[in-house]
Amino acid sequence: MTDATPTATGRRPFALRHPSVIVVVAALALFTCVVTLLSEAYGTGAISTSFVKTLGKTLCLCLAALAMDLVWGYCGILSLGHMAFFGLGGYAIGMWLMYARTHLIVVGSLSGQALPATPEEIRDGIAAQIFGVVGGADFPAIWSVAHSLPLQLAAVVLVPGLLALVFGWLAFRSRVTGVYLSILTQAMTLALSLYLFQNDSGLRGNNGLSGLQNLPGTSQPQSVTSMWFFWASALALGLGYVLCAWIVSGKFGSVIRAVRDDETRVRFLGYPVEGFKLFVFTLTAVICGIAGALYYPQAGIINPAEMAPIASIYLAVWVAIGGRGRLYGAVIGAAVVALLSTWFTGGQAPDLPLGIYTVRWIDWWTVFLGLGFVLITLYAPDGLGGLVDRIVRVRRSDRDGAELSSGPGARAIRKAGR
Amino acid sequence: MFRRLILALVIAAGPLTAQDGPAPIQELLQEQGALIAESSRRTIGPAIDALAASGLPEARQVLERWQERELYREEETGRFAFGVEVDRDTLRLVEIATGRDIGEVSGDGWEEMRPNAGIRGLIAAALVRFQLSDPDPATRREALRAIERGPEESHLAVLRDALPQENLPALRSQGERLERLLTVRFGSTVEERVAAIESFAGDTSVDVRAALNPLVATRLSVSEGVPEGDDIARVVRPGSEALPRTSAYELLVDEGLAPMRLTRSAKRDALVANIENGFVGGYRVAELGTEDARNAAYRELVAEGSAESAIPEEEIDRILDRFGFAERYVASPAPVALAAKRILDGLDARLGMMRLADLALDGLSLASIYFLAAIGLAVTFGVMGVINMAHGEFIMMGAYTAYLVQRVVADYAWSLVVALPLAFAVTFAAGVALERLVIRHLYHRPLETLLATFGISIALQQLAKNVFGTQARPLTAPGWLDGSLVFNDVVAISYIRIAILVLALVFLALFLVLMKHTRLGLEVRAVTQSPRMAGAVGINPDRINMLTFGLGSGIAGIAGVAIGLYAQVTSEMGQAYIVQSFMTVVVGGVGNIWGTLLGATLVGFLQKGIEWANPSNTLAAQTWMILFIILFIQVRPRGIVALRGRAAEA
Amino acid sequence: MSALLEVSGVSVSFDGFRAIDNLSFSIGHAELRAVIGPNGAGKTTFMDIVTGKTRPDTGTVRWGRTGRSLLRMSEARIAREGVGRKFQRPTVFEDQTVADNLMLALRKDRGPLAVLVFRPTAEDRDRVAGLAGEIGLRAALDRRAGDLSHGQKQWLEIGMLLAQEPRLLLVDEPAAGMTLAEREHTTELLKEAAKSRAVVVVEHDMDFVRRLDCKVTVLHEGSVLAEGSIDHVTRDDRVIEVYLGR
Repeated sequence: MTDATPTATGRRPFALRHPSVIVVVAALALFTCVVTLLSEAYGTGAISTSFVKTLGKTLCLCLAALAMDLVWGYCGILSLGHMAFFGLGGYAIGMWLMYARTHLIVVGSLSGQALPATPEEIRDGIAAQIFGVVGGADFPAIWSVAHSLPLQLAAVVLVPGLLALVFGWLAFRSRVTGVYLSILTQAMTLALSLYLFQNDSGLRGNNGLSGLQNLPGTSQPQSVTSMWFFWASALALGLGYVLCAWIVSGKFGSVIRAVRDDETRVRFLGYPVEGFKLFVFTLTAVICGIAGALYYPQAGIINPAEMAPIASIYLAVWVAIGGRGRLYGAVIGAAVVALLSTWFTGGQAPDLPLGIYTVRWIDWWTVFLGLGFVLITLYAPDGLGGLVDRIVRVRRSDRDGAELSSGPGARAIRKAGR
Repeated sequence: MFRRLILALVIAAGPLTAQDGPAPIQELLQEQGALIAESSRRTIGPAIDALAASGLPEARQVLERWQERELYREEETGRFAFGVEVDRDTLRLVEIATGRDIGEVSGDGWEEMRPNAGIRGLIAAALVRFQLSDPDPATRREALRAIERGPEESHLAVLRDALPQENLPALRSQGERLERLLTVRFGSTVEERVAAIESFAGDTSVDVRAALNPLVATRLSVSEGVPEGDDIARVVRPGSEALPRTSAYELLVDEGLAPMRLTRSAKRDALVANIENGFVGGYRVAELGTEDARNAAYRELVAEGSAESAIPEEEIDRILDRFGFAERYVASPAPVALAAKRILDGLDARLGMMRLADLALDGLSLASIYFLAAIGLAVTFGVMGVINMAHGEFIMMGAYTAYLVQRVVADYAWSLVVALPLAFAVTFAAGVALERLVIRHLYHRPLETLLATFGISIALQQLAKNVFGTQARPLTAPGWLDGSLVFNDVVAISYIRIAILVLALVFLALFLVLMKHTRLGLEVRAVTQSPRMAGAVGINPDRINMLTFGLGSGIAGIAGVAIGLYAQVTSEMGQAYIVQSFMTVVVGGVGNIWGTLLGATLVGFLQKGIEWANPSNTLAAQTWMILFIILFIQVRPRGIVALRGRAAEA
Repeated sequence: MSALLEVSGVSVSFDGFRAIDNLSFSIGHAELRAVIGPNGAGKTTFMDIVTGKTRPDTGTVRWGRTGRSLLRMSEARIAREGVGRKFQRPTVFEDQTVADNLMLALRKDRGPLAVLVFRPTAEDRDRVAGLAGEIGLRAALDRRAGDLSHGQKQWLEIGMLLAQEPRLLLVDEPAAGMTLAEREHTTELLKEAAKSRAVVVVEHDMDFVRRLDCKVTVLHEGSVLAEGSIDHVTRDDRVIEVYLGR
């Protein structure tokens, strides 16, 4: 890591010391401009609104992958629960979107009446609209601040953050590590999604929240609002990237990588390892929450199935395919796999006739993804990011979240285990 | 015409044969003839009673054939005879008293006695008297059963009459019990009924509960002030879960104790209907944007007389406070109901114990399934430190193997015999292949192994979907595994679950033998405790790892067959068990089969226990269980059976 | 002079096996001490107890002038109190450069937030460079620690310990696998370190211990068998019986 070295590289600005930050941010800006100029709302219309949404959602997934890379690739915690935080962020913003939109609809329908509507009538009307599907007519307690955008925005950060804080504190203080920890996070995710599947969870059970693509308070068409969300996603990804790069560039990055490689040793150096893990776990949960809050308005609907444990495992798969321990690797992995998955499972990919058997991608994509992932783990542990490294020949000081897989780190872990 | 003449002659000859006047039964019938012919449920009683009480030997047969619609009455003379329709208008008649064949006659002059369903019921009740004193014990037993099935008030007296004559002890005690049951319901005095009820203390049979439960039926009643009376089952408070405020108030309105509730919509409608020039009840329409303003305007309307007096939502509580609500016994006099309640409460405690036993059986069978599903996982994790995410898919593979076998081998028992070893073989091979091709290259990188096996898992799952489709495939158990082992009305366990339990025990035993008494087991234990030392003494860890992984996968295949018999075979069935299997391993601790057993038991019993505590919601049960396990890890991070000291750090 | 570390009456057992049995031990503020003993004598467990890795069943561990108990503290807290530990195998962060390793060990605020905003000053860099000079790795500052030789890794680890500025150094077999020249260098490093702080060296190699020229404690079956100068203990019959003689 260059900035800790007493030699040459002392005082240069952060961005200059980390060219990958400049490259990624520039690429992101360029991409955003191109999409804007080709969009229906602000450009030629070469890119359909639904594809803008797909791209925007992909950016959010990249942000989640970034968080995953920080917590797994750098800190060594293979969390199988970060998509749950993603979903919680989505639920938090979804509650406001659904409430505000239903509020407008109810006020509209009541305004035709002879008498001005009372607050009670409006509230009952909204409750009936939202909870009719689960046979309820009253607001559950967790909806008590759904009318307030600032409070729900705070919830986007606080709910995943607090959950991660409490769970992480419990898990780390009892020194649960490695595979055990992964399984525990998976159990947490399963518990959460099962809870949300219940009708009396207060979040509409398996119906989830819907109609989130409509932004209350604006009469702009979808083509325009989807661009707004696209920009917001791009901005969030850019800021997230810079933040993560800044975190891992300094001594903090050095400590968490050390935690990943040999936790016990770091403890004997006097660092409160649990505090560092908890910090990273909570921070990445918050980032995932924000990513989710941007994702679901573009998806339009959120339901508990989105938070099933498998979603979080996929997140880990993206990061692994992209190449752990490199922030750009996570971004590349998430973007490539998510877009390819959309393409192959969306039915756009042409079938592959093989004479006796026609490969239908909808059926076979998952099979190839699974096997391909195994091959990457076995033969290209650096993932796509490793490919980039080879092409660009980045100086090694820049991809400092080095590969756990290929040698020294792994050996260190082995030793730590003994 | 000629034929008719003959018939007339024959009939005319009839009475001549009974030379010493009509038989007593004929006399009796003709006495009651009018009532019998009228065939009305309300008036028929005395006629049936007269027949039943006559003591005449033919009475029973008359009742039976009457019930069968084979009793005929000659319109002219009122004479009765048994008859069978030969064709549409010809009857073959038999004299009642003597059984003499009268011959075929035209149906014209004879009227069929047509008892309706109600009368047939009365006849049946009357017949019970005869059946109960029938010389054939089988008939008497059948009669008792008939009473058990459909007890009637009339049975009580009959039964009491018949019991002293019963000489078979079994039937007698059955009859006496039945008599007490009938007394509970139909006894004429309160004391008699209470005594009968109390005689059933501690008897948990379904029939006792069926007799007692209706007695304690209650109805909600309302009174001003505090509810009083000895028939109160319990006092309920409005706004509690048992009595929501709105229901309480509706009761008041129904009883005429309070004016109609003014719902928001009714209030609005009334106000809208009275809008005049933008004003309602002295208020401007634009002002009516709050419920308080609307209430005030409505009061004005009531004062004007243009709206009905009603109580707005906000004042309901004040009115409810003036009344007391209680559930009162309505199905029986208070002492009877209280006695029944007392006995039922006593039963509840016993039933609770039995349900607990039933629950324990459920928990046991769930635990055995988790044990089968988790043991393979625990072995691979213990020996190799590897979590196999595709374990669930091996379970699925085993189940599909059994399904395919069943399509080839038609006999369900034999197909099972073939399927078990074949499933083991298939998944063993798959496990060895996975170990050779993937896991071997990822040793000491446990997190990557976890992810790589996840890749295998999704590929296998989708592959199964492509090959077998998404619909569930049945796996049928042999006939002798159908049904349940029933201990009593509450405690029962199906044979399939017993079979799975036995399978789990067999595997536990096999496993123990394998580990303790074979070379392989010795080597596996050596590798588990210290891979380096094992290598140093000449054990080939590669071979051990491969065999261990194959073994773990093979057991998963067997578990798949077991689970397939009990649930259904789908491409996602593995996923349903994998998390619980992980939990079992985590809770139990690694490297020790007893840990797995304890873990499975804990997880299985816990899940059933939570389901029992909150039966309405299986999803919630799983949530709570997982939360519990997360907290459990806080107390015992290394599971129930934890290795300590130097071994723990290996 | 009061002791820096005072261990008294400590016992610990694993599954019935008594690893440490009523052990008492104390060391002054600037003292070099060698601990020797056969395998299973409890040397490593002793270090585990002092550094907080293992909690004893009974006994007390008092620290510093105020005599505070170390038993309630976490490992990291004990390390911050000034107990540094060097493991038997060199455990440096192979993935990071020598400079990073030293910077990580430098005595600074260890809290996550403080670390997050920490940027090294010129002074810090000089200190790292100075330490690297002391351990002979001045030229290797930018090299990955994983690329160092075994002996260099040992030194780096000692350097990291010095960077922590501990008041007590626990060193487990520092000379294992070193060449003769490297051993001499290591001896010098340890002797130098012991001038300003307490140093406990666990070692098998009697030549190395002799070269350290300090007080020796002999452990056997979890308790102290003998204590004194090297010549004193090597003449002790019981020591010869359990350890030296064959």
